[in-house]
Amino acid sequence: MTGTLPGVAPMAVPPGAFLVVATLLFAIGLAGALLKRNALSIFLSIELMLNAVNLLFLTYARMRGDLAGQMIVFFVIAVAAAEAAVGLAIFVALFRVRRTVDVDKIALLKW
Amino acid sequence: MPAASGQLVVFAVASFLALAFALLMVVQRSPVRSVLSLVVTFFALSVLAILLSAPFLAALQIFVYAGAILVLFLFVIMLLNLKEEAADEDDRPVQRTLGLLAALALGGLLAGATLRAPAPGGVPSPRLIPAPDEIPALGRLLFSDYLLAFEALSLLLLVAAVGALLLSKRKFE
Amino acid sequence: MNRLWLIPILPLAGFVVNGLVALVASSSRAEKELGADHPLAPLPYSQRLFHGVVGVGSVGLAAVLSFAALVPYVLTSLKSPEGIAPVVQHVYTWMAAGDYSVDVAFRLDALSALMLSFVTFVGTLIHVYSVGYMQKDEGYGRYFAYLNLFMFAMLMLVLADNLPLLFVGWEGVGLCSYLLIGYSYDQDFAAAAGKKAFIANRVGDFGMVLGIFGVFALFGTADFSFVDLARRQVLAGGAPLGVYAVCVLLFLGACGKSAQIPLYVWLPDAMAGPTPVSALIHAATMVTAGVYLVARCSALFVLAPDALTLVAWIGAGTAIFAATIGLAQNDIKKVLAYSTVSQLGYMFLACGVGAFSAGIFHVFTHAFFKACLFLGSGSVILSLHHEQDMRKMGGLAARIPQTFRTMLAATLAIAGIFPLAGFFSKDAILGATAASNHWALYAVGLFTAGLTAFYMFRLVSMTFFGKARGHAAEAHESPATMTIPLIILAALSVVAGFVGIPAALGGSDRIGRFLEASVAHPEIHEMSRTLEVFLMLLSLGVAVTGLVWAWRWYGKAGGPEEAVSPQAHAFYEKTGALGRLVANKWNVDEGIEALVLSPFRKIGTFLWRGIDALFIDGIANASAFLVELAGDLLRFFTTGHVRNYALAFTLGVAVFLVYVWVR
Repeated sequence: MTGTLPGVAPMAVPPGAFLVVATLLFAIGLAGALLKRNALSIFLSIELMLNAVNLLFLTYARMRGDLAGQMIVFFVIAVAAAEAAVGLAIFVALFRVRRTVDVDKIALLKW
Repeated sequence: MPAASGQLVVFAVASFLALAFALLMVVQRSPVRSVLSLVVTFFALSVLAILLSAPFLAALQIFVYAGAILVLFLFVIMLLNLKEEAADEDDRPVQRTLGLLAALALGGLLAGATLRAPAPGGVPSPRLIPAPDEIPALGRLLFSDYLLAFEALSLLLLVAAVGALLLSKRKFE
Repeated sequence: MNRLWLIPILPLAGFVVNGLVALVASSSRAEKELGADHPLAPLPYSQRLFHGVVGVGSVGLAAVLSFAALVPYVLTSLKSPEGIAPVVQHVYTWMAAGDYSVDVAFRLDALSALMLSFVTFVGTLIHVYSVGYMQKDEGYGRYFAYLNLFMFAMLMLVLADNLPLLFVGWEGVGLCSYLLIGYSYDQDFAAAAGKKAFIANRVGDFGMVLGIFGVFALFGTADFSFVDLARRQVLAGGAPLGVYAVCVLLFLGACGKSAQIPLYVWLPDAMAGPTPVSALIHAATMVTAGVYLVARCSALFVLAPDALTLVAWIGAGTAIFAATIGLAQNDIKKVLAYSTVSQLGYMFLACGVGAFSAGIFHVFTHAFFKACLFLGSGSVILSLHHEQDMRKMGGLAARIPQTFRTMLAATLAIAGIFPLAGFFSKDAILGATAASNHWALYAVGLFTAGLTAFYMFRLVSMTFFGKARGHAAEAHESPATMTIPLIILAALSVVAGFVGIPAALGGSDRIGRFLEASVAHPEIHEMSRTLEVFLMLLSLGVAVTGLVWAWRWYGKAGGPEEAVSPQAHAFYEKTGALGRLVANKWNVDEGIEALVLSPFRKIGTFLWRGIDALFIDGIANASAFLVELAGDLLRFFTTGHVRNYALAFTLGVAVFLVYVWVR
């Protein structure tokens, strides 16, 4: 991973740095998803993971000089919006039934 | 474009903010505070996007993500009147430990994998950035190569809206 | 002469016709008569007429054809001093594989001509007798069908030109024996007796089959020409072990079919079948198949003298053993059954000392007087409404005179009284035994002759003399269809011996010389004529002694309140435990049960419970258990907590990454 393609304007900040940041953000988001009990917090962590991936794509887009990466990010953002809408609606409905959004307390589909 | 050293400084600050507030988001117990931390993170990410010659998407990030999605989150949190997570209610220590370990492991692995990955190859496409007319270029791409995806996306948004509406109804008439 | 194949086929056709008609008729009858316990009514006259005509007719026609074939053959062979070559009719090639081939081919030579003559003749007479005997029975059609099938199998056996075809007939008669013994299949003891007969035969057949394989292996062919090959081979270099083995194995088969020790146990039980069946199958024809086999392969046996000795000793042993059992039986048919076993022993004794033609001569005469005895006993049983216990008979001489006279004649024949048939044939056997210096066997044979005379006259006395016991006072003579065969057979019992008058008495032993063409006649030492006549008188004396003794004890048999014979009773008391053992047939059946059947049953039970139930079912159950266990363990993964699932995802991705990285 050595930088931009020939023919593309070089980057002032080394691309590796961006990649590391993105990976770290992803890891943090993953930790949050695994460790938190509140369903909404988990969802927030997932959003963070999505954004980390966005950053990754943008970095590669810049490195390759290819707009397709930005296109992907565009779609990811749109899909995340849709997903958030539906997911929060589910949580609302769930809350109505169980009066809680603690995932540990909603473990019904077990043996 | 700002000078190179300036970029480095901006990058450092922005990435620091992003990482710090992301950590804060995970560590916080109150969901409201988590959301707010995440907002800051998103702003930082926007800055990083600008650094990567993607101003349109940076703006999109703020408009859609920070402005719409996280506000929606806040609405729901207020609506459900969610309280702080109580610390002593967690009875799954194994999960916590393993989860932490797994996340660290995977994070490390991913970092390593990303860094060791070979440089992207191939011929640069004619769609170079930074382009002065980035937005028109994006628009052209959207309506030519990615037309199907675009249409599907609009359908998806429609479905999501209808679905959310249905799920939140109290009774089905 | 080129119609030999018709002789077995005619009874087969009779079987098919009678069988089909009986099957169809009985199923339509079953529909008409409602209820399971309708009385077993006899068939209507028209149906009986049909079955009788087809049954008797097919066999009778076969008999006519047989005589048409063999009379010219016999006459021609008698004219030339060494007999003429056998007539072989090849029908078609049954199996051919490489160098071996087995054909369906029929052979008419001296031996098969003789067998054919009495098998068809006595068979026809018994079919005629059955018309009267079985007339009240519902299974009339089935009976005649089976009887015809039996005749087919027996004729195949007698006329076969090779061992496999003989074996076809061998198995066929075994099957028909089973079918006919178990004719009253609704009676448990009859069905069980049928099974016993078949299984005991099967044990013998095992030896027979191995013997046939041995013949193939040794000589490359199973035609009866193999004996020539054997003779040439042996003259070249001594008797190979294979010949001994084959002889013993074939003799094992003969023991099964001809009821020698230890496979005789089925014959007394076989008396559960109808009496004509006992007469035909278990006296005159099927049981002599073993003797026929040994005589056929006589040239082979001669090459293995130790095997012959075995045959002789088993024959003699069986003769005396069965005779002792016959002394104490009270069922008239059982006495005759043990008598048959004993007489068959005599036949094997003859073969064993090398006098194969004497053995066949005895087969010939035995067919007549034993069939007469059995049919006579059937007549007695029928006239007393199916009473078979001699202790409930008595005084019948005046009431059923024709039966009495014929049975008396046959009894004198079997006892060996001069000049009836049995005297000549039995004397031929005893003479040959003495001439070959087997004096121990001779003593056994002589003593058994005395026993034979005794128990046969005991039978006659208890049945016909003395006071009438039970329902004997109301006995009526049987119809003509039954008494006429009796008279014919009794007449033959008197005169049939004249074909074998030995040289010592001035005759020319025609039958012996006739049979020389097809059975072996090894060197028998010459006896001085004086010795021969002396031995004849000795055996005659022993026989007469037996008769008189029986007359003294049973001739004035008592009535129902007193013991039938006080002297016999006193003697029985004196013999104590030995007497009881003899009366209980030497406990042979119990012995077989304990030594053979019980261990097999135990092994079977062990294999069932121990191996099948425990082991094999255990494997099946264990695999099911393991699957269940695995399922129980695996379900712990379904916690229901999304965090666990997320963790699982993460770990999976991590593992995958490591894998990709490492590669």
